[in-house]
Amino acid sequence: MPRKILIIDDEDDIREVAALSLESVAGWDVITANSGAQGLARAVEHRPDAILLDVMMPGMDGPTTFRELRKNPATAKIPVLLLTAKVQSSDQRRFADLGVESVLFKPFDPMTLADQISGVLGWN
Amino acid sequence: MFLDLIERFTMKCAAQFDRGSATGAAAPADLGPALDLLWTRFLPEIRQRVDLLEAAALDCASNRLSSAQYEAARAAAHKLAGSLGTFGLARGTALAREFELAFSNEGTPSSALAQRLTSIAAELRTIVDSHK
Repeated sequence: MPRKILIIDDEDDIREVAALSLESVAGWDVITANSGAQGLARAVEHRPDAILLDVMMPGMDGPTTFRELRKNPATAKIPVLLLTAKVQSSDQRRFADLGVESVLFKPFDPMTLADQISGVLGWN
Repeated sequence: MFLDLIERFTMKCAAQFDRGSATGAAAPADLGPALDLLWTRFLPEIRQRVDLLEAAALDCASNRLSSAQYEAARAAAHKLAGSLGTFGLARGTALAREFELAFSNEGTPSSALAQRLTSIAAELRTIVDSHK
């Protein structure tokens, strides 16, 4: 069974490149959502093996979406990796303190994104 | 100095493009053609973001920058910083990140900084327009 991963990102280009990368390079099933609210609904509906979650989104941002995922017993145990273009160390510490599995950075390499995720989650 | 650090970080990302995958897929896929298609599809949006930076840099130089324009330019720079390197344009990410950082500090940018922002926006335009 291929891994199933949910990508939550409001930026169409990033979402599509990430989906292309994970489908084509790793052969994973990819579900996408363009907002935190849509992501919460899709996480409940599809129960993915992991969630790749953008930090800066209008409306419900990544950290808020993460907290909502943790509140719901149906999604509380799904590993979440944050995806951010923030490179300042204060931001990185703040994100790491949330309790996510890892923080990945934009820009990412489409050829190795799946490896990064697999490495963090012990899927290799 | 900080721009150098950003550039090294993004170059490191870009340098990994040709490496294979260890995820268990039978063979590393050639993403080039599909990425080219996505680039073409999203190019109008990417150009609009550069438009915002150009306009903000010009208005910054002439002290006509509104707070709404400031926020829009900062958001556009942030998005460009995140996406250009993903399409292999590491220099574009470094420049967009420098623009974003300049707009993240308190206060109105100095005239010297406004000149630098104009130069960044112009280089971003060249990078985006010349990428096939």
